[in-house]
Amino acid sequence: MKFVRILFILVLVGFALTAFAAAPADKKAKTIDELVKMYDSSSCKDCHAEIYGEWNKSLHARSIFGPAEVGRTAATFKTTIEVGLKDWPGSGVKKPEDVGVKHLMLCAKCHLPQLAEAEDSVAQEIVKNIYAFKETDDQAAMTLQKLNINCRVCHQRNAIVHKWTDGNPAKDAVYGSKDGEHPAPDFPKMKTSKVMNESILCGQCHGQGPNFEFENPTQCATLYGSYNFAYIPEGGTETCQECHMKKSKLGHNMQSYRSKEMAKAAVEMRVDAQAYQWRDVATTTPAASVQVELRNNAGHAIPDG
Amino acid sequence: MTAKTNDGKVFYQGEKIYMPIPQQMGRGDKMGRGPYEKSGLLRDTSLPPLRTVVEKFNIPVYNEVTKDGKLSRDIIANDFTIDVELWYLPYGKKNDEGNAQMWQKVTKKLSIAKGGK
Repeated sequence: MKFVRILFILVLVGFALTAFAAAPADKKAKTIDELVKMYDSSSCKDCHAEIYGEWNKSLHARSIFGPAEVGRTAATFKTTIEVGLKDWPGSGVKKPEDVGVKHLMLCAKCHLPQLAEAEDSVAQEIVKNIYAFKETDDQAAMTLQKLNINCRVCHQRNAIVHKWTDGNPAKDAVYGSKDGEHPAPDFPKMKTSKVMNESILCGQCHGQGPNFEFENPTQCATLYGSYNFAYIPEGGTETCQECHMKKSKLGHNMQSYRSKEMAKAAVEMRVDAQAYQWRDVATTTPAASVQVELRNNAGHAIPDG
Repeated sequence: MTAKTNDGKVFYQGEKIYMPIPQQMGRGDKMGRGPYEKSGLLRDTSLPPLRTVVEKFNIPVYNEVTKDGKLSRDIIANDFTIDVELWYLPYGKKNDEGNAQMWQKVTKKLSIAKGGK
C-alpha cells in the first residue's frame, strides 16, 4: 500500500512537472514560426477588424523590417552586426553565424521584445533572413515582416510597467481600459492596464538615451527623455497617445516622421522675405533677407536620437 | 533654402541642420551614427518642443566686379524666387527615395526696383 501511495505521489509530481514545462511562459521558441505563433494576434482582427487594419499600416507591424519601401530597419540590424558586433573584441561575434539572442536584443529590446522568449536558433534564423533579403517582397522580407510589435506586445507583454506593484501580465488576459470577460478562447479575460493611456507605456521603447542594461549600451529613440525633460518643463500636458492616436485620428496606425499629416501638425513654418538695396557712398548692394520661424508643437524634440 | 533667377539659375544656397548629435560610444568628440555606437549627446540642434527657432538668411543678389579700378556690385536679377524647404532626412540624402521626406515648402517672389539714383 505504501508503495502504491509513493507511486501515486510520483505520478502526480510527474504530471505537475510536465504541465510546468509545457507552460507557455517558460517555453522558449526555437524557430521564427514558433515565436510568431507564441505572439499570434491574428485572431484579434475577427472582432477588432478596424483597429487591426489601422495597426497593419503602421511601422509597428513591420518593426524589424522597417518602412515597406526600403526595409531600413533590417538594414540597420545588418550594419549593427557588420560594423558593430564583428568589430568589438568582447562581443564573441566573428561572423553572422555567431549572433545570438543577447546580441540581437541590442535592437530587439524595442523592435522585437518578445525575442527574449526565444532561443539562439531564432536569432540565427532572423540573421539569415536579414542577410538574404534583397527586395521588399521576396521570401526573406516577408518572413521578417511576420515579426512585429503586435496586439500582444502592447496589450499584454508590455501592458504592465511596475510589476512589483501591479503584478506580471497574465497570459490569458488582454489589457486595456476595463476589466471583464473577453470573448476569445485564448484570452478570456479583459484587465485594466493602469498605463495604457499614459506616455510611459510608449516610453518603454521610445526611450530616454543609452540603454544601460546592456553590456554594450545602444541608443536609438530618445523621445521619452525629450518628453520628460524638455516638453513637460515647457508646460506640455498631452500624452503620446493623445497626439499620435486621438488628435491625429490615426488610432492604432501610429505614425511619426514619415507621415505628412503628423509632420504638418508637429512643425509650423513661417517665412518672411524682403529684397532691398543697401548703399555705401557710390556702391549699391542688392540683397535679400529671409527669416524662417520654425515652431515645434510636438511633445518632443524633432528629430530625436 | 535657395534663391534662383526666373530662368532657374540658383545663385544662393543656405542650409541649417536640426538634429541631436550623438556621442560615439559615450566618449571623445566624434559623432556616433548607428544605434549600436550612439551613447549620449555631443550637441543637440534639434527643434525643441513648444519653442520657436528663428533663422535669418542674408542673400547677396550681386556679383562683385571691378571696373576701371572701382568696385561694383552688379545685380544678378531684379526678379527672383526664394524657396524654403523643410526636409526630414533619417538616412542618406534628399534623393534617397523612401527615406527622405520633404515636410514643407514655401516659395516667395521678390523684386528689386530698377533705376533710381
